[in-house]
Amino acid sequence: MSDTAIRISDLSVRYGRMIAVEHAALNVSRGAVYALVGRNGAGKSSLVRCLLGQQKPQRGDVALFGEDAWKRRKSLMQRIGVVTEDADAPPEMSVGAIARFCSRLYDKWDQDSVEARLRAFGVPLTSRFGSLSKGQKKQVSLAMALAISPELLVLDDPTLGLDVVARKSLFEEVIGDLADRGTTIFITTHDLAGVETFADRVGMMEHGRIVLDEDVDALKSRFRRIRFAAQPVAIDTAVLRPTVMRSWGGGAEAIVSNYDDVSFERLRSASNIGAAEVEAMSLEEIFIAIAGGNNS
Amino acid sequence: MKNALVIAAREFEEKRFVAYAAVAFAVLPFLLAVIPGINGRSPLDTIAMSALIFGTTFAVAVAVISGASFVGRDLSEGRMSFYFSRPAGPFSIWFGKLTAGILMIVGCFGLIIVPARLAAGQHWERLVSSSTTWSVFYILSLAIALFLLAHVISTFARSRSPLLAFDFAAAVICGVSIRLMLLPLIAGDAAVIVSKLELALVIAAALAIVCGGAWQLERGRTDRRRNHLALSQFLWGTMAVVLLIAAAYVAWVVSVKPSDLTGHVRATRSAAGPFAVITGTAKGRGDYRAAFLLNSEDGTTMRLDPWAEFGVHYTRDGRSVVAPRRAANFAEILIYTRGKSEPLDTGLTVTSGDFVASDDGNRIAVLSRPNISIYDVAQKRSLTSARLPDAKYLRAFFVTPDVVRLYVTQQEGTKILELDVRARGLRETGFIASPGYLALNADPSAAHMLVRQAHSGGLTLNDARTGAPIKTLATGTNVIAARYLRDGRIVFIDGPDSATVLHVLSADGTQQRDIPLGAKKWAMFIGDDGARVVVTDVDAKAGRVFESINIDRGVIEQRQPTREWVTSGAFDLRPPIEALREVFYVDANSHIMAWNPATGAKRTITGG
Repeated sequence: MSDTAIRISDLSVRYGRMIAVEHAALNVSRGAVYALVGRNGAGKSSLVRCLLGQQKPQRGDVALFGEDAWKRRKSLMQRIGVVTEDADAPPEMSVGAIARFCSRLYDKWDQDSVEARLRAFGVPLTSRFGSLSKGQKKQVSLAMALAISPELLVLDDPTLGLDVVARKSLFEEVIGDLADRGTTIFITTHDLAGVETFADRVGMMEHGRIVLDEDVDALKSRFRRIRFAAQPVAIDTAVLRPTVMRSWGGGAEAIVSNYDDVSFERLRSASNIGAAEVEAMSLEEIFIAIAGGNNS
Repeated sequence: MKNALVIAAREFEEKRFVAYAAVAFAVLPFLLAVIPGINGRSPLDTIAMSALIFGTTFAVAVAVISGASFVGRDLSEGRMSFYFSRPAGPFSIWFGKLTAGILMIVGCFGLIIVPARLAAGQHWERLVSSSTTWSVFYILSLAIALFLLAHVISTFARSRSPLLAFDFAAAVICGVSIRLMLLPLIAGDAAVIVSKLELALVIAAALAIVCGGAWQLERGRTDRRRNHLALSQFLWGTMAVVLLIAAAYVAWVVSVKPSDLTGHVRATRSAAGPFAVITGTAKGRGDYRAAFLLNSEDGTTMRLDPWAEFGVHYTRDGRSVVAPRRAANFAEILIYTRGKSEPLDTGLTVTSGDFVASDDGNRIAVLSRPNISIYDVAQKRSLTSARLPDAKYLRAFFVTPDVVRLYVTQQEGTKILELDVRARGLRETGFIASPGYLALNADPSAAHMLVRQAHSGGLTLNDARTGAPIKTLATGTNVIAARYLRDGRIVFIDGPDSATVLHVLSADGTQQRDIPLGAKKWAMFIGDDGARVVVTDVDAKAGRVFESINIDRGVIEQRQPTREWVTSGAFDLRPPIEALREVFYVDANSHIMAWNPATGAKRTITGG
């Protein structure tokens, strides 16, 4: 049995002349939570469609649990729960009918868990899917995705349309719980604060390329915001590499992407930079720094 | 299979409101039947008629609407991922949706029709001329065809892909190819092959769409443009293969050779020259009728429009054949000449009526009521025209290249008229005051003619231009055939069926020789070679035969049994210029055979 839940190698997707994904590669271990972030149009949804075997890439391979996602999609879907970016169930169907329909397609189906989750979300089974709010539709999709106790849960921007309470519930209770139980989770999101606490690894897409793919802890440990009381004469980039450098009050602020205490002390002792304050950064701040740095 | 049924059930459930609407339409005919002023004479007729209209309209409307949406809308609205995010294969998704769509069409039609059919009873049978089963079959086939067509158009149009231009071009090419493929078959009167081929193409297109739908979801899945591309590739690829196979079949059908003709063979033959038109069907080629112009001297053949056999004219000099070729709603007149490999297009077209050619084929008179026109082939223009009188029977021939003589049989008798290119007018030159049909045969110079009255069985020698009687040749002797020979002598056959006699007379009607022929039920002269007269007759003993009679020696030299005879100038108004060398007939095996009346030698023309 493969230890890798997801393996994407050299993936490229094009729409005519437009490049949606270019030479993307990533691996997600079993039981890991992988957060893929990126701005709108970065290529996340195209990558997810390839991941789910819904779209054939022009180039590259996608393997789920060691099996080709395009060729073995049908059997793989027995093991994978999916919450798509847009609510895709027919609007005329009731939530109960959707559950009945899905239950007939899967080998294992826990109707009780579906009903329990929908009760918890406050979504009646008799409601027409089309009449639900965007957030409720996501909740219905999530309830269906979890009814099969998936080995892999793919969530394409699941917090879109959810209110703050529902979002917190999704991340802390549902995803957190699943992560604790060893379910592999692949999530694309803009809500970095939400995934920060439980994501094991994070990837970042820009213009179709994966520009970052790293363990969250390692990423967070190497990014620091350093505030200098006075304007530094120069920073030895061989020691610390500033991604962003700007004025801050009377001094300056640098965001470095290769921070470690030893290097910082060496920099401080080698340069006459006076007082400096070092702050850890959130994922969101790192994302903005990288995105801003790349754009500049 | 299970998943397909699950998906079909879901689709069906989603569209259950359509079924509710069908139930409402099923009730409507019964309501109409009780409304005064609408229900007509028979409420049951009203029920049957309105149910048929409602059922058909509803089925067609449901077919078009659901065909345009059952896959295309899911793709364009991004809802196909609902299925593809689950363990359902593309084939299950397609056939599930397809099954639901077709069942919805059939079910709705049934919901509207069945109650009315049961209530209307005999009134239904009166309304629907063919059997109910076939009517229902045709309506549902049409609805399902529209359903599939709507799916294709919807998939193509909703993708908003530039590939649409290719699809349009491919559809036009397919249409044009089919038309070009069917044209030679239609020209060959192959109605059965045409209808079978059309049905096969429709079935192939339907299968291509059905299989293409599964293929598009397999290749395109949730991507509408890739769905379009996959369906387009499959559909047009399949149609290209099908059309190639169909074209190869059509090419094989129309590639029939004269020797292949074995069924329904027919022929006409020039009275003197080497030309013959032979037509027939060939084994394995259905009802396709091929026609050939055969030059029996050198054995060469040319393809003719099969319809040409009904309008072909052989020139008196035996050198040319004037034959029509269908083009749209008119016929073009072509001239095939001995020694020339291609026909001459005269530029002359005929929409109705008949035409006759001059002895050398350089002029053609078109008798298209109410007008007659003389055309010069070389100049490609009309030389003169005139209005024709009303006629029961109309016969004509060129006396000279400038003069066409007409025998116009009316109620009171037969008028003789001439149209002269130089005089530019139709002039009455004579009249034969004898009601009814007259069998006429003119001498080589067209100065005299034999007039045989069908009702009296008498035969007279008349002036061919004025119709004035010159001499009575037979009265009350039951003349059954009369004709001028090429040298101007006269021959006729009369007598009781049990003992007929061939009389040979000089040009002025003087008796020369009588030759007893024995018991004949019927006889007709075919032609002569100077020494022999060839007669086709029904002999009391031998049945239908050709007989070659030596009129100098007074004996029957050759006899050849036939199943059917070939005209070979038997109906020509004047004897040919050249001597008769060969006649055609159809033997017991439906082969066209050539027979030499001088030697009795035979050779196979078709089927050998």
